[in-house]
Amino acid sequence: MTVNTAHEASGTTLSEQSALGAHAPRTQRTGRSLPFNDELHLEAHRWLVDEAYLLDEQDYDEWLSRIADDMHYLMPVRVTTALGAGYSTSPGMAHMDENKYSLSRRVARFATEHAWTEDPPSRLRHYVTNVRTFRTEKADEIIAESAVLLFRSRGDVGEAATVSAGREDLLRRTATGWQLARRTIMLDEAVIRMQNLAIFL
Amino acid sequence: MTDQTSVIQDVQRGMIPAHIYNDKEIFELEKERLFGRSWLFVAHESEVPEAGDYVVRRVLEDSFIISRDEKGEIRALFNMCLHRGMQVCRAEMGNASHFRCPYHGWSYRNDGRIVGLPFHKEAYGGEEGFKKKGQTLLPAPSLGIYNGLIFISLDPDAEPLEDFLGDFKFYMDYYTKQSADGIELRGPQRWRVKANWKIGAENFAGDMYHTPQTHTSVVEIGLFREPKAEKRKDGTTYWAGNGGGTTYKLPEGSLEDRLRYVGYPDEMIGRMKEQWTQQQLDVVGKDGFMVSAASLFPNMSFVHNWPRVEEGSDEVLPFISIRMWQPISENETEVLSWFAVDKNASEEYKALSYKAYLMCFGSGGMFEQDDVENWVSLTNTAAGSMARRLLLNGRMGLLEDGQNVVEPLTAKEYSGPGSTRIGYSEYNQRELLFRWADHLERPVQAAAQLHVGIDPVQAGAVAGGDAAPSVGSAATVPAAMMSQEA
Repeated sequence: MTVNTAHEASGTTLSEQSALGAHAPRTQRTGRSLPFNDELHLEAHRWLVDEAYLLDEQDYDEWLSRIADDMHYLMPVRVTTALGAGYSTSPGMAHMDENKYSLSRRVARFATEHAWTEDPPSRLRHYVTNVRTFRTEKADEIIAESAVLLFRSRGDVGEAATVSAGREDLLRRTATGWQLARRTIMLDEAVIRMQNLAIFL
Repeated sequence: MTDQTSVIQDVQRGMIPAHIYNDKEIFELEKERLFGRSWLFVAHESEVPEAGDYVVRRVLEDSFIISRDEKGEIRALFNMCLHRGMQVCRAEMGNASHFRCPYHGWSYRNDGRIVGLPFHKEAYGGEEGFKKKGQTLLPAPSLGIYNGLIFISLDPDAEPLEDFLGDFKFYMDYYTKQSADGIELRGPQRWRVKANWKIGAENFAGDMYHTPQTHTSVVEIGLFREPKAEKRKDGTTYWAGNGGGTTYKLPEGSLEDRLRYVGYPDEMIGRMKEQWTQQQLDVVGKDGFMVSAASLFPNMSFVHNWPRVEEGSDEVLPFISIRMWQPISENETEVLSWFAVDKNASEEYKALSYKAYLMCFGSGGMFEQDDVENWVSLTNTAAGSMARRLLLNGRMGLLEDGQNVVEPLTAKEYSGPGSTRIGYSEYNQRELLFRWADHLERPVQAAAQLHVGIDPVQAGAVAGGDAAPSVGSAATVPAAMMSQEA
């Protein structure tokens, strides 16, 4: 059963299936998850928690500096399909399917004085949990999986929005620290109950 | 229910009672008098390309299975088992030869015909008790298809779809018929916004005026070639049939130059020249206008734009998106947003056009983000008592005495049908709201009831029971399968 992971449909990853994923690194996990006291796991966990704080603070320039040039950031559209259909994402459609250029435009837009959707800014909290880490066939790359719950409040008493998702990340060791090179975000809803995705997961 | 006569009269004068954007009673009227009978977009044929393919779509609370049956015909079937009313299909897309109700196991072919009824003989006495033959899931009262776009109406007497679309078809072709094979759709992305459904439809229909303010940021980050968002005022708004939209003014040049400017490759331009009428080509090549956003009454919209999609390049690439503003309540809308692309375009073009779409529109689109923020705020504000005192001025383009600020373009200046003007105005928003008001003031006739199988009352027989087991046999009543009662 592979309906709730980044590996839908006969073993090919969603990143590979994407029409915009040709540039993406293809590195896959090997073996079982690492023990929680493994140095690699501790580094991955720390990276994800640090990232959550950056995203809460909307420090997107710093966030972008931790993203690799060959980044593929994919958030497929989830669909409700019959048991055994073999897929749970909309074929050929994502909410976000980004490379570093398009991510950089999103970040640049938030930096203008005219991104009304975040003026006044949202109060954001990214809760990151269920972190586990895998080695890959490459010594300087690891896979980290995590669950994320975003709480987003706007205005004074407007109903807050939440988004729940699972993520699979490819982290690469560089001279300046770990960088995110691929992220697949599996939302847990078919219909997003949030006014827009002017946020990052 | 409150008398809405004054609301309707205000709207007919171009004044908008602000509370119509968040009013429970108005929404109830809309459900009954507008969505209860208007033609509504539900899906595109390319979403169900193979026999057995289906998607499930809603019209308000009513769920319909849009399927392609084994003969290749498109069906729109009310998603409710004829026995106890269970949803027979609970996935939103897939491929199935049959739909089986999980409750008691009644099953239906993908054309709606009932095929399996467990213990038919033992429980019902076979065909004599319940005629299985000829029974079908309830089809949508009316179904129509234009350029592969599937529409349904809950009104069995709806005018033909093409009559309803009227001259708006001329403009729909730019989005949905760039070659003989038309478009393919991907998606939809679906998300819910706390905004009234009318606001988006009005915005896409004609609101060129919001672009310089709302969308400054996307110009500032270099997503567009035009240095200023206010470029829009050189374009037009047009209204034709039951829809209207906006265009951009293109730089001087031939038809080919202008289509290349928008980012279309020569092979696609070649197919457009074969496909479009001379008038359709002239709007671009002779008059110099290119369609942008548009809305078809009441809640379907289109958008076409051409951003930069790669770093350090001056190249732009066009995308097309189709969307539906699905009303959930007076203050909530589910947006369904599809990416559309010409079927015959190259895979490389399709990929880049998809990227252009994702960057600009849809759930994560950078244009869309700022729009929705405004619409949510507007809807919130419209709920209060002060909003009931306020008549918003929706008369942009008209002087106080009713004269036009800008006259419509003449046939010499413009080759397309409908009424077309250069610059900012609210003619199109008024056209949408005029139609809205027309529906709201016209009562609906009670819909006919549909009887599943034999109804003893209808058949003139006394209701059966243990004491009168023979009453209601098929021999004594007219053949009444799904029979209609006026």
